[in-house]
Amino acid sequence: MTIGPIEAVGAGSPIGGLAPIGGLEATESTTSTNGADFAAMLAGGLQKVEAAQDRADNLAVQAATGQLADVHEYMIAANEAQLTTQLTAAVRNKAIEAFNEIMRLQA
Amino acid sequence: MSGLFGALGIAGTGLTVYRKWLDAVSDNIANMNDAVATNADAFQARYIVARTADYGSGTEGVQVGGAVLSGKTDGRIVNEPTNPLADEDGNVKYPDIDLGDQMSQLIMAQRAYQANLAVVDRAKDAYQSALQLGKG
Repeated sequence: MTIGPIEAVGAGSPIGGLAPIGGLEATESTTSTNGADFAAMLAGGLQKVEAAQDRADNLAVQAATGQLADVHEYMIAANEAQLTTQLTAAVRNKAIEAFNEIMRLQA
Repeated sequence: MSGLFGALGIAGTGLTVYRKWLDAVSDNIANMNDAVATNADAFQARYIVARTADYGSGTEGVQVGGAVLSGKTDGRIVNEPTNPLADEDGNVKYPDIDLGDQMSQLIMAQRAYQANLAVVDRAKDAYQSALQLGKG
């Protein structure tokens, strides 16, 4: 049995994203009503979620076909995908909450 | 490596290392009774060398630096005249592996694996708590 060196498990790397959240600085000056920033940020975030879910899906297929070397690798990828999805949902809910709050101003 | 959910990936590298360590120990135990002719090399126990991945360079965690062979190729000479591999003096060679030593290796690897699993669990709980922030 030869035990080769691990090819540094890149587990976390594809999920490094959602960094554009820093873009909220733009709302500091209420004069800029640039809505494209938030939309672009959300789209970028969704792509990261998709990447995380793709990774988990690939590992699930490997588990089903008996090619999975490490059980924990799938479990961690699945957890990361779940957390990333929850984070995206939280961001979306907060955004809608804020929007609804603004809409209620005239009432 | 250390992205948004860094602790999960880092603990994952630990799990991989200790899984390989468990593999190495089970290989050693499985080959414990490999008899060879006295002029051949006996099986040598294999040990995993854990090395830190470069911290701060984006590849945190631990990795297997390689495997080292331990024990002498001389093995233990055992008098077993009925063994088909025995030489003219009736001797064969067995690996120089101590089962007690392998068992303690096994426990160390298993406990370390469990410790890393606990890290994954707690990290997930912590991240989920962070996501609950401000709700309700």
